[in-house]
Amino acid sequence: MPPDSLAALLQRHRANEDLNAAVIPAAARNALDLAADAVVGPLDERIIEATGAALDAGHTHYEPVPGIDELRAALAQHLSEATGAGWDAANLLVTAGMQESRFLTLQLIDAGDGATALPQVLHPGVRKALGTRPRETVSLAVDAERRLPRLQAIRAALEGGSRLVYMESPSRLTGATLDADEMAAIATMLADHDASAIIDRGLAPWVAGAVAAPTERVALIGEAFPGAGIVSWLAGYVAVPEDWLPPIQSQKQIMAICTATPAQFGALEAGNLYPQEQPPRLEHMQALRSRLQDRARAAGLDVLAGGAASVLALRLSPSHKAQGLTRLADAGYQVADGSDFGAPDLLRLTVCDAAQAALDLLADA
Amino acid sequence: MPERKKSGTNLLYSMMAEAASYDDAVIMGRGDPDFDTPEHIIAAAKEAMVQNHSDSSPPEGLPELREAIAARVERVSGVAYDPASEIVVTNGGQEALFLMVLTLIGPGDEMIVPEPNYNTYLDSTRFAGGRQIEVDTFPQQNFRADPADVRRNVNERTRALLLVSPNNPAASVISPQDMRDLVQIACDHDLFIISDEIYDLFVYDDVVHTSAAAMPGARERTLTLNALSKAYSMTGWRVGWVTGPAPLMERLRELKAAITGATSIISQYAGIAALTGPQEPVQMMADTYVRRRRAVLEALDEMGIEYGVPEGGQFIFADIGFTGMDSMQFAQRVLSEQHVLVYPGSAFSEARKQYIRMTFLQPEDKLREGLERMKIAMEGIRAELGNGSAS
Repeated sequence: MPPDSLAALLQRHRANEDLNAAVIPAAARNALDLAADAVVGPLDERIIEATGAALDAGHTHYEPVPGIDELRAALAQHLSEATGAGWDAANLLVTAGMQESRFLTLQLIDAGDGATALPQVLHPGVRKALGTRPRETVSLAVDAERRLPRLQAIRAALEGGSRLVYMESPSRLTGATLDADEMAAIATMLADHDASAIIDRGLAPWVAGAVAAPTERVALIGEAFPGAGIVSWLAGYVAVPEDWLPPIQSQKQIMAICTATPAQFGALEAGNLYPQEQPPRLEHMQALRSRLQDRARAAGLDVLAGGAASVLALRLSPSHKAQGLTRLADAGYQVADGSDFGAPDLLRLTVCDAAQAALDLLADA
Repeated sequence: MPERKKSGTNLLYSMMAEAASYDDAVIMGRGDPDFDTPEHIIAAAKEAMVQNHSDSSPPEGLPELREAIAARVERVSGVAYDPASEIVVTNGGQEALFLMVLTLIGPGDEMIVPEPNYNTYLDSTRFAGGRQIEVDTFPQQNFRADPADVRRNVNERTRALLLVSPNNPAASVISPQDMRDLVQIACDHDLFIISDEIYDLFVYDDVVHTSAAAMPGARERTLTLNALSKAYSMTGWRVGWVTGPAPLMERLRELKAAITGATSIISQYAGIAALTGPQEPVQMMADTYVRRRRAVLEALDEMGIEYGVPEGGQFIFADIGFTGMDSMQFAQRVLSEQHVLVYPGSAFSEARKQYIRMTFLQPEDKLREGLERMKIAMEGIRAELGNGSAS
């Protein structure tokens, strides 16, 4: 290694160390992984068949940068039905998963001269994506229960010059959502200040009923059809007004040319199956979460209300949390630490059968 | 040489869209092999789905794939890398390229690049806030960069050298002696090296591929990219990789995690099959390219079009300056009149407006058909030249 060059390089990146903290430790792969924000379900045979057929048919070459037309249309239809807004295939770009969606929107959507407004509590991948080419940020205070940004904090940021607000609804940590009235108020604020928002709604399919979103001045991002067992195939989306798309698409071309074809064709079939398959999945998860929540509360644990059926967030004292994490780690469980999200008093568990034993360990800690 | 502006990407995509509108189009532009992915690789991908390999991958890629990459790199390039700390799997060579530039180049930094070169390097360097300093190359030397020219362009802001061998679009291959000299420049000035070796299996005649990292003093300052796209006809799968010394790779891995996270799991399993399975399909494709390259060169000779002899890669960079047309006019005319897509050199460099880039990634009958149509176009252009009306 050239010593002078290496020293200079590391010095340059030192300022970003905080932003580059690992999201979820790689060790989680080998543990009983309760750190994800949704359990990976079984893979439907029809997805395997459809993907295999696409590969056999020669879909092994570059596909268009924004994604295959049929998948863009399927995502647009899904979002239109979920939000009530009129999304079209021309508004959609297929990404190589959620992190690329975060990166493309945070780096390419115009933030004007102001700081990008970020809630105090959010997925650590957001700060990592911003850290690759830092933009000025301003922090939005969150409420105590849902850990979602307070409206007055958003208003203050916009009045202070911010022109881009990042939000998660549902929250990646607690699963809580901003309701329709709050979203309407945010939409008004965005219009009043000629500002824009990026909303991560990747957990929205795990919420019963509609998850509100503004219809204008907004980029929606998320995983393509979560719950279908293809999360690690890595297909996500960015939905934006059509005139926002060119710079995002150009950057996608620079970074990757296109999203992997097996992932796209798998997501397409998952989308075809979604109207039939997701409702019973959601119902199952809601029932499971309800049972886990009851058990946790009966054991004296403080469960946040949440909203998304795929996650369960717990509030613990510092000593209880430390002991609990130790016990979980000793037993081979990996959970998401709220500290990584900006909420050091919280832990998050994936809603799944194995979470029950983890809750028992926490209750005994 | 001052930095030159290029805006080739959108230009190429609009031409591809036009070509797609013709039922009888012959595509001699994009670097996408016409062969489908070998069957055993597709079978492995299907098996990975059936086995429900939906487990997550670390950002750096599955350990089995990194081990296969390490074996491949050592076999082809003669350089050993630790799969655990010195290899990161990427979404194709394109992401590898982007990550390498972001790892090494920051605001105000300069990177010396032989010109012409793949246009995405400029896009990536701009994203990083850096600046490309281009070193001219010439068809008389088959577009090989002269190390003396490179050395003259080094200054206190220079951070890295970009070496692309075999080159895209000019198809030049850096000779072993030139590679030694270029690495020596990097050592003398404490520079990093970005080495793009995606076409390393495709060299022609008696030319040999030399990996930059294999040169004395280079390994510890070199990031090298490669991918499965070209060698295994897997452009759609998006599997590439970067190799380099652990301290740099740690930074590159962090960037990978921040930008896209992991690489698609099914593509990674396909990649394992590609690298560890039968290699006959690769040799078959390479042999085919040898024949096709010869066919294109013969046709260009018949048309009286000059070119730098392509020593490697899958391209031919040909000089159409004698037509009096710039490359965009020429490419557009051939496309609209004959439905043959070639890329204008201006998409790669403002200074290469008299060149076109042609690929030979079409079945031979289709390739010959495209070349015949180009001849017809050339006859028309020559007739107009005789009349003094070509433009």
